[in-house]
Amino acid sequence: MQRSMLQGVIVNLVTWTLVLLIAFPLLWMIITSVKPQTELFRIPPTWFPETITFEHYWRLLTETPFLTYFRNSVVLATTTTIFVVALGTLGAYSLVRFKYRGRETLAMLVLFTYLLPSVVLIIPLYLMMVAIGLSNTLVSLILAHTTFALPYALWLLRSFMEGVPEDLESAALVDGASRMGAFRDIILPQLLPGIISTALFTFILSWNEYLYALVLVNSDSVAPLTTGVMSMLISAFNIEWSLLMAASVMMSLPLIVVFAFLQSYLTSGFGAGGVKG
Amino acid sequence: MADVTLTNVRKQFGTFVALENLDIEIKSGEFVALLGPSGCGKSTTLRMLAGLEFPTSGDISIDGRVVNDVAPGKRDIAMVFQSYALYPHMSVAENIAYPLKKRGVSAADRKVAVQKAAELLQLEPLLDRKPKQLSGGQQQRVALGRALVREPKVFLLDEPLSNLDAKLRSYMRAELIELHRRLGKTMIYVTHDQLEAMTMANRIAVMHGGKLQQFDTPDAVYNRPANRFVASFIGTPSMNQLEGQLDGALFHVAGHSIPLDRTRFADDLGTGDYALGVRPEFVAIGDGELPAKIRLVENTGHEQIVTLELTDGTRLLARTDAARRLDVGQNVQIGFHPDAIHLFAPGEEGPRLNKNDAASVIPMRSR
Ligand SMILES: Nc1ncnc2c1ncn2[C@@H]1O[C@H](COP(=O)(O)OP(=O)(O)O)[C@@H](O)[C@H]1O
Ligand SMILES: [Mg+2]
Repeated sequence: MQRSMLQGVIVNLVTWTLVLLIAFPLLWMIITSVKPQTELFRIPPTWFPETITFEHYWRLLTETPFLTYFRNSVVLATTTTIFVVALGTLGAYSLVRFKYRGRETLAMLVLFTYLLPSVVLIIPLYLMMVAIGLSNTLVSLILAHTTFALPYALWLLRSFMEGVPEDLESAALVDGASRMGAFRDIILPQLLPGIISTALFTFILSWNEYLYALVLVNSDSVAPLTTGVMSMLISAFNIEWSLLMAASVMMSLPLIVVFAFLQSYLTSGFGAGGVKG
Repeated sequence: MADVTLTNVRKQFGTFVALENLDIEIKSGEFVALLGPSGCGKSTTLRMLAGLEFPTSGDISIDGRVVNDVAPGKRDIAMVFQSYALYPHMSVAENIAYPLKKRGVSAADRKVAVQKAAELLQLEPLLDRKPKQLSGGQQQRVALGRALVREPKVFLLDEPLSNLDAKLRSYMRAELIELHRRLGKTMIYVTHDQLEAMTMANRIAVMHGGKLQQFDTPDAVYNRPANRFVASFIGTPSMNQLEGQLDGALFHVAGHSIPLDRTRFADDLGTGDYALGVRPEFVAIGDGELPAKIRLVENTGHEQIVTLELTDGTRLLARTDAARRLDVGQNVQIGFHPDAIHLFAPGEEGPRLNKNDAASVIPMRSR
């Protein structure tokens, strides 16, 4: 009894220490973003800002291309997500429902590209984009992110698809639905948790992606937040800490909001992928 | 109402032959059971009728029209799946209405039809629930409701009762017979349970290893089984089959001879190996020349199933009155009712060699 209580206390202590360790940078980011410039480099540092200011946010929104980057990121992550979910769902359906030669090999090959480090793929990808005239466009990034996220999405959706009984689809066909009709009416609703977790995964991946964005895009008008903010605020001579922190807070907001709403789907999705895929 | 015909149908999965030379003619309004052990191809047959699988060769026609290339939804059939296959995200009412919706029936007409089906199957209080919130028996009725709501020509049912408990099963059996009587529609019913087939069907198609063994009335498959497989598959406990030698009018088994009435069997049977079949109810204990020992007595309350062992170790079953006193270990003489003896060629599917007019139907009491 005594022992188990002690154990509980220790476990809790360790857990909270870890949580604090992980959360501290986030906390510091928020605190820094609302400190006035004068207070920023004071030694010893102030834990809580003496005066709270939103001037950095204001400057970011009015004096910099932050909003352009933000719009680019939204377009990029959303379009990538739509592509990946659409292709992944149809692909998973094919892999699970249809029998054809090389089906398993195909599934493995798709995963194989996922095993390669992205650095290996990025130069050929860049050359390809140049060749088809898409270099330095948002489209090239969308395509790159799609190829990057699709393999995992395919496997995740496949394990969800395997959980949808074939009888349901057969029943819909007998009831008069076309194949596409059965897919839309019966399979998609059953697949919703899988689709949501795939969408979340893809959105986060695309939103946070840096390397591809750095290589494939180099003008301000099409840069997403990750590279845009970095190149704008970090130069060889100076780092604009306050602005950087304010930008970071605003970059994280969409993810945090989406996460809070769909968190339960996400964990169930990773569970399904882990067990079966 | 429609007749359903399978003509020389063959189905292969890769190199595996699931069905061969399947010829079945089902009359309009008939209740036919496809009966056979698991894996014999019953579901495959049904799925081909539904259009969910396609025959490798041969023709399937419904109502005189060859439907080999017709999509499931255009065949005017309805199917009840073993798993019920209710759409989990739809309510009971939406489930039942789905086939109508897919056929462009207006919302108002759908409502009326769903109401009618729900009344017939006593589902009215459940219409707003989701399938998950229903018991097995209720789900089963919803599946039936979805099948009959649009009044198809043919009903296909794949082991619809196998997931229910014994009591509910016998209740639903009666309900289905009643439903068939009321609707008068062609029904094709897959089952591995011979009791279901015997009690419900007008005719039974007994299948084994992808081949049709016999297609006849319950009475015929029970009393005049086409071959050894049918004889052993129909009836619980199943028919005794003793392997032995035929020599003229004598059947030699376990060092003894059983005299046969040769006029009851095909005329051209030569000397050699055969199997003698006799149902447990026609094995008389204490009345005959064959010595045997009682190994086991199972009293069900209204009858006893007695396991007997012949001198060479062959076992067979007898069925007697529950009142009769029999002891395990007791030595007895047994005999077979002469009019109840079947003769089969050797082999698992050895054909029956009785003259077919010599029906082995004898009232139980005349033993
Ligand atoms: N899609 C399929 N692919 C390969 N083999 C199959 C397929 N469907 C059925 N089979 C095989 O065909 C045989 C008959 O199956 P089925 O018709 O389901 O039998 P049952 O009589 O139990 O309903 C089985 O041996 C089964 O393994
Ligand atoms: Mg089956």
